[in-house]
Amino acid sequence: MEEQLAELAAKVAELEAASGGGAVTNTMFAETFYYLTIPLMIIIHAGFLAYEMGASRLKNVLSSGVKNILAFAFMIPTFYLFGWWVYFGFPTGIPGAAGPMGISGVEYANSIALGWGESAQYMGPNIADNISGVFFGAFALFAATTASIMSGAVIERIQTVGFIILAVVLGSFAWVVAAAWGWHADGWLVTQWGVHDFGAAGLVHAVAGFFALGVLINLGPRIGKFNADGTANHIPGHNMPLTVVGLMLIIVGFFGFLMACVVPPGEAWSWFPDKFATIYGTPITLSSLAFNILMAVAGGVIGSWLFTRDPFWMMSGALAGIISTASGLDIYFPALAFVIAFSAGLILKPCADWLENRGIDDAVGAVTVHGTIGLYGVIMLGIWGSGYPSLQGAAGEVPTISLIGQIVGAAVFFLLGFVPGYVVSLILKMAGMLRIREGAELAGMDLVKVPAAGYPEWGGDAPVTPAHPAE
Amino acid sequence: MFPYDEASWSAVDGAMFMGWGGSLPGIATLIAAVICVAVLVIGQRSETAKAKAFDK
Repeated sequence: MEEQLAELAAKVAELEAASGGGAVTNTMFAETFYYLTIPLMIIIHAGFLAYEMGASRLKNVLSSGVKNILAFAFMIPTFYLFGWWVYFGFPTGIPGAAGPMGISGVEYANSIALGWGESAQYMGPNIADNISGVFFGAFALFAATTASIMSGAVIERIQTVGFIILAVVLGSFAWVVAAAWGWHADGWLVTQWGVHDFGAAGLVHAVAGFFALGVLINLGPRIGKFNADGTANHIPGHNMPLTVVGLMLIIVGFFGFLMACVVPPGEAWSWFPDKFATIYGTPITLSSLAFNILMAVAGGVIGSWLFTRDPFWMMSGALAGIISTASGLDIYFPALAFVIAFSAGLILKPCADWLENRGIDDAVGAVTVHGTIGLYGVIMLGIWGSGYPSLQGAAGEVPTISLIGQIVGAAVFFLLGFVPGYVVSLILKMAGMLRIREGAELAGMDLVKVPAAGYPEWGGDAPVTPAHPAE
Repeated sequence: MFPYDEASWSAVDGAMFMGWGGSLPGIATLIAAVICVAVLVIGQRSETAKAKAFDK
């Protein structure tokens, strides 16, 4: 009997050890999972860097790059200083009351997201906390993505410091408020309207795209973009192949971006001990993402090719394909994702032309690709995904996805982008910090801003695209 | 469009995409296939027409 009891005790101890080991493995898996999304998302920035520099004329190529690199650099510390705090502080709205999940509100944010006092234990190396840093890192890279989206639209005439201020407002505040409201289990857009935006079509892309529109209205077009009669001139960048490769790199990085939208088991905010979830606690698999992202990329490229035959718009179509389906990548059927992405590819160029015909000089089509198509994606999910519970649970206990809810979400995302973009850029304009002086714009911003040459062997004989087509 | 009788995630034990168990996936697949073929046909026609403009 005693022998049997001892054997049983040994067996129990073995099982307990195995179970504990499983938990540790899960924690390390979650940590590694998020950690790997960070370099993947940095590929997005390599892509935006190449894309913007390629889309710039020779005289502006390096200054466009400098601007993009600085946006990334300033986004990280500002997101550390207050962006992370905003995300946890205000899901229920202002004044930042705690939500039912117990992971929101100013008090909660004060306890985990400030880099000083007791809270600082979660904002630095901590042997008992494997997750905060990698989760913060993934979110900081989302923030940097928003800044890069705006960055491309404003190339070749914006002041560096003014741009960085705008990037910080967008990346460490505006989109973070959108994420708190629509991308958090306590977010009021989710709990009251059933908004579902798994891959951030609205809360990242549309917010950034319409923030850029607000800035562009105050910034004005590049010299030579529009003729006296209002017709537009095409200002070609100096290196289309670089731009196209940059766009392809952004697609690569988006696999990391969307991977980071998944909550794996094994971390403090995990929904389940044994399966992946969306940020709303609804189930998801990485296979869902593989099916739907690939089909969306293909649909967007094919739709854009049909009307444009232009590699720039084809690769923009790939992005539009992903963005148009991002809200529901967890639940779309792949062929349906393809059809929606195809439709996004079809409408992309006409939407960009429409904007240009209204005097907006969006140098890379960012407002259309990210803003317009972002909202299109949010609303498409309302059409196709109505009836799905928005949160973990059952309809009735939790809200469901609906067309009205998605339209409300789209309207809020539009306003969270456009209003701060317009207001802050207007203030910068009044302070003389928005647009570079005319002489410097004509001479080329690299001469003013960068003590280096993009293509030094070309020297003074470099073929320069005229600032004004009539010159 | 929730593919289970009860709109609850606890009822989901397999496929969870829109229209599962109905005709939507088949229709969407057919449309996707038609799009691929139609775009190729249109692309071939327009490219041929443009290429002819360069005939001597």
